[in-house]
Amino acid sequence: MLINFKLVSISLLLFVSINLYAQGPPIFTDSPLLLGLEGGGIRTFGKYISTESGQTYIQPLVVPYNVTTDFQIGGIQPYVFRSPNNDESQSGFGNFTLFGKYSIIQIDGRAKTFRALLKYTQTFTTGASNVSVNANASQFSIITGYVTINYGIYGTVGYTFVSSDLPDNLIYSFAFGYPLLPQKYPPFQLNLFLELNGTHTLEVNKHLLFVSPGLQLMTSSTFLIETGVQIPVVDDRNTTKFAYTLGIRFLFF
Amino acid sequence: MKPVIKMILIIFLLGISSTLAQSSEVKVRVDGLSCPFCAYGLEKKLNDLDGVESINIDFEEGLVVLQVTNSENISEEEIRTKIEKAGFTPREIVFSGKNEKPDKDD
Repeated sequence: MLINFKLVSISLLLFVSINLYAQGPPIFTDSPLLLGLEGGGIRTFGKYISTESGQTYIQPLVVPYNVTTDFQIGGIQPYVFRSPNNDESQSGFGNFTLFGKYSIIQIDGRAKTFRALLKYTQTFTTGASNVSVNANASQFSIITGYVTINYGIYGTVGYTFVSSDLPDNLIYSFAFGYPLLPQKYPPFQLNLFLELNGTHTLEVNKHLLFVSPGLQLMTSSTFLIETGVQIPVVDDRNTTKFAYTLGIRFLFF
Repeated sequence: MKPVIKMILIIFLLGISSTLAQSSEVKVRVDGLSCPFCAYGLEKKLNDLDGVESINIDFEEGLVVLQVTNSENISEEEIRTKIEKAGFTPREIVFSGKNEKPDKDD
């Protein structure tokens, strides 16, 4: 079968665009807790992606809003800088994304909780054509997590429908978080994360899997800074060298 | 001592003793408290309650301790509602100090 490399490349970029917004505790994998810095705050982070064809830097602004305890909506607007190897650099606003999360399971115990939620993400083709994928994308996912004061385990599986004759994606993520300092409130925390973030592009049957170690520092109940690197361990296209992220989140209401 | 100064002193001491007598503690067992980053909403909701002076959160015990000026102004139902709205599960609530009330399990 003749592989359409352009389609695969665009599809992988779309995957990265959608999944890097899943930043929170943990860093690259979504969290089922709609609380604190995961809801009602503002997030921004810079993501530098190095590939065989060039470099990309993405700076999104993420604004979630908790409508109720169980229901969150939000919007994501990225700004994208692209620097292809054999072309001029380009920049502009990327595609706008709306998302909604609805909590379906909450089982609380002393110093622990298990939660699950459904997430719907819709990406629109609002971005500049030179830095954005010209395709709408709808993603459905289920996000789970078991969090105790000693560790946190998180998982996500989802499916992305992509328009414009591009292949759909299956996505999955797994994260393990470990606090390096005692849990207290107001917090001063240093958290260590090890995550796996993967996607399988259907039709062309290509797989991409990152191993993503990261560190997270909370200096107060309203401010968090985090960093992580994503190293491809499975990359059927052999294009992605690595991705580096540095981000902050803060609450102001 | 002049009568006026005596009077001021008496009023001042009465004020202090009255305040001390009314100040009390409410201990709340809260399930689901597993991460400090998610406790901010709980603190904000509980601060909305009338007369809350300070809030102390113990993660290991899953315990929230409220210092309140007068616990008679706060009902158990109000506390439970605030905790649920913050996304957690309230359990036993114990009023101590002057207005002590019995433990209650869910």
